[in-house]
Amino acid sequence: MTFEPTIVSFLCNWCSYTGADLAGTSRIPYSPNLRTIRIMCSGRIEPTFVMKAFREGADGVLMCGCHPGDCHYHEGNYKCLRRYHLLQKYIVQMGIEKERMRLEWISASEGKQFAALADEFTETIKKLGPSKIKKVMETLT
Amino acid sequence: MEEIRIGVYICWCGSNIAQLIDVKFIAGEIKKLENVIISRDYKYMCSDPGQETLIADIKQNKLNRIVVAACSPRIHEPTFRKALEKAGLNPYMFQMANIREQDSWVHIDKEYATLKAVALVKAAVSRVKHHEPLNKKSVEVNSATMVIGGGITGLTSALEIAQAGKQVYLIEKSDSLGGITAKIDLTYPDLKSAGQMIRPKISQVQNHNLIEVFLNTILEDISGYVGNFSTKVRRNGTSEEITFGNIIVATGLKPFSPVTIPEYKYKVLPDVITSIELEKMLQDGTVKTSDGSKPDNIAIIHCVGSRNEQYHPYCSRTCCSTALKYANQLRSLLPDAHLFDIYADMRAYGKGCEEFYTNTSNKNIMFLMYDQKNGLPEIRKANSSDNAGMIITFSEKLSGENIEVPVDLVILMTAVEAHEDAKEVARLTGISLCGNDFYIEKHPKLDPVATTTDGVYIAGTCQGPKGIDESIVQAKAAAAKVLSMIAMGSIEIEVAVSHVNEEVCCGCQTCIMVCPYKAISFDEEKNVSVVNEALCKGCGTCGSTCPTGAIKSLHFTDIQILSQIEGLLKTESETI
Amino acid sequence: MEKEKPKLNLAVYWGAACGGCCVSVLDVHEKLFDVVANANLVFWPIALDTKYSDVEAMPDGFIDVTLYNGAIRNSENEHIAKLLRQKTKVMVAYGSCAHLGGIPGLANFHTGKEIFERVYVSSESTVNKEKIYPQTSYKIPEGELTLPEFYNDVRTLGQVVDVDYYLPGCPPQTERLLEVFMAIVKKEELPPNGSVIGATDKGQCDECPRKRSDNKKIKQFKRPVEVIDDGETCFLEQGLICMGPATRCGCGYRCIEGNSPCRGCYGPPPGSPDPGSKMMSAIGTMVGSDDPEEIAKIVEQIEDPAGTFYRFSLPAAILRRKLIETTVS
Repeated sequence: MTFEPTIVSFLCNWCSYTGADLAGTSRIPYSPNLRTIRIMCSGRIEPTFVMKAFREGADGVLMCGCHPGDCHYHEGNYKCLRRYHLLQKYIVQMGIEKERMRLEWISASEGKQFAALADEFTETIKKLGPSKIKKVMETLT
Repeated sequence: MEEIRIGVYICWCGSNIAQLIDVKFIAGEIKKLENVIISRDYKYMCSDPGQETLIADIKQNKLNRIVVAACSPRIHEPTFRKALEKAGLNPYMFQMANIREQDSWVHIDKEYATLKAVALVKAAVSRVKHHEPLNKKSVEVNSATMVIGGGITGLTSALEIAQAGKQVYLIEKSDSLGGITAKIDLTYPDLKSAGQMIRPKISQVQNHNLIEVFLNTILEDISGYVGNFSTKVRRNGTSEEITFGNIIVATGLKPFSPVTIPEYKYKVLPDVITSIELEKMLQDGTVKTSDGSKPDNIAIIHCVGSRNEQYHPYCSRTCCSTALKYANQLRSLLPDAHLFDIYADMRAYGKGCEEFYTNTSNKNIMFLMYDQKNGLPEIRKANSSDNAGMIITFSEKLSGENIEVPVDLVILMTAVEAHEDAKEVARLTGISLCGNDFYIEKHPKLDPVATTTDGVYIAGTCQGPKGIDESIVQAKAAAAKVLSMIAMGSIEIEVAVSHVNEEVCCGCQTCIMVCPYKAISFDEEKNVSVVNEALCKGCGTCGSTCPTGAIKSLHFTDIQILSQIEGLLKTESETI
Repeated sequence: MEKEKPKLNLAVYWGAACGGCCVSVLDVHEKLFDVVANANLVFWPIALDTKYSDVEAMPDGFIDVTLYNGAIRNSENEHIAKLLRQKTKVMVAYGSCAHLGGIPGLANFHTGKEIFERVYVSSESTVNKEKIYPQTSYKIPEGELTLPEFYNDVRTLGQVVDVDYYLPGCPPQTERLLEVFMAIVKKEELPPNGSVIGATDKGQCDECPRKRSDNKKIKQFKRPVEVIDDGETCFLEQGLICMGPATRCGCGYRCIEGNSPCRGCYGPPPGSPDPGSKMMSAIGTMVGSDDPEEIAKIVEQIEDPAGTFYRFSLPAAILRRKLIETTVS
């Protein structure tokens, strides 16, 4: 059986979630591996959520916000971007491939781009193979 | 603690969901979960019978949490929240799982789509367990309105609102009202005087006792929220504060400067002028070359800076009809002149404009077509042997030939573009820009003058290039939106705001720095941060920034999101 | 003569610890007499010669209070933790290591095998050509010698046994210990089981005497040696990572008073879903740039994010150890 990764995506309500909805209304198919959590702004995404997603068995975590300058709440996406860089350094220290985590900007009109991103990220994670994080965290020796 | 009793409803959405996703299987899987009392599938949950089932279940089974798996929450979350209210349940004890837009419509494999749907519903069930009731809050609407921009759009909005008996503050950064409309001679396609249209409006505005006009005025700051804004305006070096409930942004646009297009030699050759410079000549009644002589050959070039990736990718929309207007006016002023209209595509859209094009083409005007793909027409100074001041060379598309057109005067139909301070106005008012620095409407079709910031509307060309008629439509639409808001008297404000736990907050003040709405202040006495709930828009950025964990982003709390993640990744049902 | 009150039976034990916690118990100085007046010390390896077999012989619930300090690093730590749990009414995780894993918890960046390799083979001062490692059992003519098993992971006390109270700190502030002890003696109403005691719910800034503002945009992260501290301004506002806002009060802001940023030994205030992620999020947000390249450069200045934000708490984190292939069996 081929490996079908589970990817948790955090999408901001105003741009990227709407963009993902647009992929739906435009019937643009993409891989079914993404499972989305809607938040109001990418500025709400905190490292805890990403750690938790990995801990619970996500093979990849995708975060999307509005394009720089377009944040519905002015600059939440920049806050997300800054944290992302630090979080990336942390997960590498924790032995997690940094490619398992992505931050991308998707606007409300970018349904097509969202679908392409979902496919492309799924491919990346497929190449990396299943994440061992959950198993390692559960194995106490 | 109250026992958690969850009702879960899987919507077929006719065949939209049910044809790909096994709704019965999901309902069965979800029924197995702890605290789930009812798990049903139904053809159309949003229909009246669908909602009635939900309401009856809540009442009969004492349900206190509801999950609906259906379309995007951006569509029907408000519908179901209302249904919960009808059943006597707090509307926030509800969570939606989007299994249509983000599942059945985008996936092909039935099994994967169904498994994904199960995960999404499980996540919603886990999350809803941690939901807390939130109570509606409303604030009174200040009946004054601030209109930014004193062009035809702003003037129209201001008059509409003032004539309904409500106060307007009209802010204009320049020293006069009228905007671009005051700078043009005639309108198209009717060839009526723009001045005769705008001047009475200006004087009506200036004389209206409910309109206060601020000329030479700059906005320093806008604070507040829908219904209760305030701003500091500065004019003649002094600052004053005004308060109002709604804002109409009608800041217009400006002509693009073609100096950056080398082919056209604007500012290099004195007889290459822009459309707005021609308007001045037409208003003055004479069209002359730089040496004061009458031009025998005149060319009008279209799409100057428009529809060209190098300058502006968009169509400026009004230039084609304006060019036809010039052709008519020049033909009347200079009956013997040779007139060349060099266009890329003739886009005479709108009521009466195609007819206008047909009529104009009968007036001895030479229409020549160029193709932007083959480069722009190039203007050069003519030799002394040539019988004209300049030569335009380009590849004529219809004949397929490279041609040279001798001309004495060239009119560049320049693109229009957003003002340099469009970004600043967006920042001040909290609205968003599209890629070309025009403002984005809330919905391009369904809500074209509202923005995603409540109480802020956009009208006219600041939203995108358009004609006077369309600008006025928007001006009146925005005024109607404002008046209906004023008529309501009070409005409900966001309740999913941030909340500071004063027992934990230690006063580090990091949250104050990150709030885009200045909604958080510092209480020196208690040494804690305080959220002004009316200003908070619920983005949650402070919640994710608070190092102490003292800030709770209501309805998007840590525990709610973490539980949702857990639910999403529960993998009991690996296969169908 | 006053009738003698029944005394409490008190035990103090160290798991994977540095000894500082035991010393902190001694730091009660003359108040030790108050302790001894109210308690029999029935087990305290650092001070008394009580054998494990003596503990095993005690009836269940014989010990009123055990102060267990240290993390769970090996089978002996675990065995004694479980034994003491069985014999004890009130189990207190005493100090950062028992509470959240503490400094020994940083070993979770490595595997047990890696640590042995470093300690017994590759360290510069070691000569061990035969690569002899400690064995859990070794037969000699006289019989069998045993050593505890060295685990791959460091765990907190709470991950091994039920803990009634957590008394944080590296080491805990001694006054807090006395307060807690006297509360137990006087049978005062104790907080609910599982509570953190001897600390408040607020972050360090609540007590911190330094001047703070909301201007926490950091363009350059610095190490303490790189800053001429004015002694007055919030460390964060000087570009120094201070765990203060993400760390409970209770220590009496000892480090801060010594002009050193808080390192976080008291652990996070209540409700934090992870001991380090909130501070990581806050520090990330403070990065003073919107430009991706500049952000990356500024973040690069934080040498060791995991070690900084989880200095005392890695085993208690959502991601409680580094992901290393060999840890999956």
